Amino acid sequence: MSVLAAFDWSFIWEQRSELAHGLVKTLEVSAIGIAGAFAIGVALGAARAHRIPVVSQLAAVYVEVIRNTPILVQIFLLFYGLPQLTPYLRFEPFTTAWLAVMIWGGAFNTENYRAGFGAVPYRYREASLALGFTPLRTFFSVTLPIGSRIALPSSINTYISVLKNTALMTAIGFPELTNVARSIAAVTFRDAEMIVVIAIVYLAVVWSLSIVIRFVERRLALPEEA
Amino acid sequence: MPEWVQPVVEYMAREGLKETARIAVISVVGSALVGVVLGTLLTIRFWPLRSMIRLYIEVWRGLPIIVTIFLIFFALPSVGIRFSPYLAAAIGLVLWGSAQVAEATRGAVESIPREQHQAASALGFGWVGRHAFVILPQALRRLLPPMVSLLAGVIQNTTLASIIGASEVLATGTQSIERLQLSSGNSHSFAIYAGIMAAFFAISFPLTRLAVYLERRLV
Repeated sequence: MSVLAAFDWSFIWEQRSELAHGLVKTLEVSAIGIAGAFAIGVALGAARAHRIPVVSQLAAVYVEVIRNTPILVQIFLLFYGLPQLTPYLRFEPFTTAWLAVMIWGGAFNTENYRAGFGAVPYRYREASLALGFTPLRTFFSVTLPIGSRIALPSSINTYISVLKNTALMTAIGFPELTNVARSIAAVTFRDAEMIVVIAIVYLAVVWSLSIVIRFVERRLALPEEA
Repeated sequence: MPEWVQPVVEYMAREGLKETARIAVISVVGSALVGVVLGTLLTIRFWPLRSMIRLYIEVWRGLPIIVTIFLIFFALPSVGIRFSPYLAAAIGLVLWGSAQVAEATRGAVESIPREQHQAASALGFGWVGRHAFVILPQALRRLLPPMVSLLAGVIQNTTLASIIGASEVLATGTQSIERLQLSSGNSHSFAIYAGIMAAFFAISFPLTRLAVYLERRLV
């Protein structure tokens, strides 16, 4: 606790608007990344669960490559590697940031949704097809609503990880929360204050998200089958 | 193979790989030891201890790992505790990894039937002996798959050490890119980063497959 006692809280208060800017950037990148990861997860998860030829195999390769390589190297490959390959693939730090977490989250979410869709009892789809629904209509009206609810807890964990991974964008100089704190520390030498403050902010965001999510989860949980 | 490749690979293997291995070994061993102890203690009914371990788990699982590493590397020196970059990264990974292991251990220990505890007590084992010699060996079956996954996760996250200046594989790769850029005007950054990705994939993919296999076999 002696660390906290030695803190210059007024200094931290003076930096509030800059830190708030960083937090907004963190949330912005997270929101885009999460939305993208959701779309990728549903599309490729469905392709995997329904074994759509070619797409399913390509999705499996994508998932394994992303899950088995460090995200920091993925970020560097996007940011420093691609422009060296072709100048057309030169991205701004902001674009790199949301693209990287979207690709990363999408891979994990593909697995979540593959499992979710796969867990929808076959008889539901059979019943829907018997009622004359087309396969596509069956997916959107039966498999998707039930499967997403099964996939909800695991996909939400992925979204929280997406938010936490945006902190790595400090390595490519994108001014999100962590990077802003490091920049302030670099000119004021208040390293300890800045890091402790953003740690508290991250915990506040992640914990309140978890609480909201647990509530939503309970509301959306599938009723036990009789 | 182009001639720039060999010196770069040699440099990364000699300097970077050693540092990566050092961080990975400390992190994995530390996470396993701390995690198993904390996870076992989490099954005790004494609530003040339990809630303290809960807090430990929620904090280190809730923070981005890089922020944990920054806390150790940049905040602790203000109270006079200083670590070298690789050690700071390893400690950060132990905090994160042990939180994961503790959660898994709790589940594994609680899955052991009550009769095992009773039988061990009847044979005269105390709390420590009962857990060390009877409960944990049985819980290990359940613990093995998450441990293997943790190993893969820790190895991937050793790359974070490069951000605070440890010269592990990713950092030596970036240094090579800068050197090539200066000496030949071509950084070969795509090839080098893709190569690093391939190397990590070659280690991590078998491990994650093994975890899936063990999960099917053992649980």
